Amino acid sequence: MTPETLFQIVNPVAMLGWLALIAAPLAPRLTDRIAGLVIPLFLALAYSALILVHWSEAEGGYGSLPDVMALLSDPDIALAGWVHYLGFDLFVGAWAVRTARAERIPHLLVLPHLALIFLFGPAGFLTFHAMAAAFRLRAANTGQPA
Amino acid sequence: MTTLPLSHPVSPSLNLTRMWNDAPAFTGLSLFIAQTAVPLMAAAMLDQRIFLDAPIWQKPLQFHLALATYTLTLAFFARYLPAGMTGRNWRIYAGVVCFCVLAELVWVGGAATFGIASHFNTDDVVMGTIYGFMGVFAVILTSASAVMGIAIWRNQTTGLAPALHLSIALGLVLTFILTLVAAGTLSSMPGHHVGTPVTGAALPVLGWSREVGDLRVAHFFATHALHVIPLVGLAAAGLGAVIGKRLVWAASAAFAALVAATMWQAFQGQPFLPWLG
Repeated sequence: MTPETLFQIVNPVAMLGWLALIAAPLAPRLTDRIAGLVIPLFLALAYSALILVHWSEAEGGYGSLPDVMALLSDPDIALAGWVHYLGFDLFVGAWAVRTARAERIPHLLVLPHLALIFLFGPAGFLTFHAMAAAFRLRAANTGQPA
Repeated sequence: MTTLPLSHPVSPSLNLTRMWNDAPAFTGLSLFIAQTAVPLMAAAMLDQRIFLDAPIWQKPLQFHLALATYTLTLAFFARYLPAGMTGRNWRIYAGVVCFCVLAELVWVGGAATFGIASHFNTDDVVMGTIYGFMGVFAVILTSASAVMGIAIWRNQTTGLAPALHLSIALGLVLTFILTLVAAGTLSSMPGHHVGTPVTGAALPVLGWSREVGDLRVAHFFATHALHVIPLVGLAAAGLGAVIGKRLVWAASAAFAALVAATMWQAFQGQPFLPWLG
């Protein structure tokens, strides 16, 4: 299977997880399983396979920025890196939805952060945490959840 | 020792619990805006780009600081709103105001990311349209001060000394009126500077020009009426209702005159307080 073919498969699979997260209030437990476990596990599987097959032949390494850039210039390793993004970003998105539900943060307020996690993972993690921290402070100050 | 009941609490407490109860959306938004300034500071450290003679992330940081202050101030004054006011309609309105605040921040921050202008950007249809919408959003978010000011004005059960009561209501209303005039004038110009040459000499933090007229000075003072006038009211509260209220009115008139004067000064191409900086 060429990297391009696999790329065409993993993208819609991850997208399915994000669509599930958007609609999470309709079926919370099912969404948790799909977007928080099944799809990230599938992507982890794809990642692991790619690394098992292609790591040894790839140039570069983790030691310096030029090493990392050389490593990612290999199409199979670049694809593995992309799958890594997809899987872990989705995992974080599912975590945000679960956390919001547990702390009674309205799902509507989570959606902009999901968009940010989807596009720029860590930036969305940051903004979600800022919002959750405000809600936690409120709960601590008023003695009542949201 | 006996405790004396205070009919007129002179210094209202800065109790965060109070703000959460009175205005959860404004309080939460203020904390969110303050926190999200941190990644902008990190970006400012990484980014050497200069835009219009200023470090490119200065403006987004100023907007975060300004709007965090504004929303927290509204949350603080929300305790003086009439009891029946903070129902469903109010919550919807507060939500709209919060949306407008966030939209302004995304717009200003996004423009910095792309290294383009936010305000005054009419380069193409898209940016021009966005600029127009942001003007509407800015009016909506500032309208919160007028709505709260009028409601507090009418509320006879705030328990505040008359001068302080008047100063809070008047300060909030003045913020809306003066900002509308100062920022409206500013936005009708091609840019915030009046005159040449602009080499980039500016006051630290505020960023006002040290060499030509700067219309942002008037906007700054106009928008801070909701802080300045209540401080006058706080000082005047002990002087009795009649004298205290007169003082608040006089201070408000003087403050409006100051805004007008800084605006006039900018249009003359003169920097604010030339000996400063």
